[in-house]
Amino acid sequence: MTRLDAHVIVLVRKNMRRILKWAGLSLLGLLVIAFALGCYFMGSPRDLYGFLRFALPQWHKGDLKVGDAAPDAPLLALDGQSSFYIHDHIGQKPLVLIFGSYT
Amino acid sequence: MYNDYKDRVDFLAVYIREAHPLDEWEMKKNLDENVCYPQPKTLAQRIAIANDFSQRFHFPLPLGIDAMNDLADHLYGGWPERLYVIDESGKLVYCGGLGPFNYHPNEVRAWLEHRFPDTHTASNTSSDSVTPSR
Repeated sequence: MTRLDAHVIVLVRKNMRRILKWAGLSLLGLLVIAFALGCYFMGSPRDLYGFLRFALPQWHKGDLKVGDAAPDAPLLALDGQSSFYIHDHIGQKPLVLIFGSYT
Repeated sequence: MYNDYKDRVDFLAVYIREAHPLDEWEMKKNLDENVCYPQPKTLAQRIAIANDFSQRFHFPLPLGIDAMNDLADHLYGGWPERLYVIDESGKLVYCGGLGPFNYHPNEVRAWLEHRFPDTHTASNTSSDSVTPSR
């Protein structure tokens, strides 16, 4: 190895360190920005955590589209005893179907 | 919307697993309003919460409770909230987006207005939310 080769290797190493340093800082900056935006849109760091931990894994968009046959499923009445099917409500009039919970 | 169209349209609410239970992603507003429930682990717990909801808001719509295997939720992608319109032949004629960001009762109202143009409505779209505001 010549002295020139050795000099080039030292320069490359120095530049590599600089590149890695800036790449790391940039990544950290992006993470901070993403965290700040997430907190802003979700309301608080706690809500961001709740969204990522509990909501996101459960969020399945469903693949139903206009024109598809409506799937059927059994439902329980409020009395906890009787049951019926979604399709029991189809036929006479259009049906508005609303999914939701209390909280 | 329900009052405007209940004579010409059927409504069915499906109570599915909780969106913000105490043991998952609880919301401060729910704590403030004392709407505090853990995620139901049994059907009896799910029935009890659905009844609490129905009684507190004097919920006028027919309401069915999803089974503990969440079948209706999975088939329709209903969680946390979602709207559909099904016509008399059993076909989906409106598929709403995933709530809460894409939960738009006004789109259902628009469909109903198009289908039943002669219906006199209160035109108060702010009351179209069939789930209680959170």
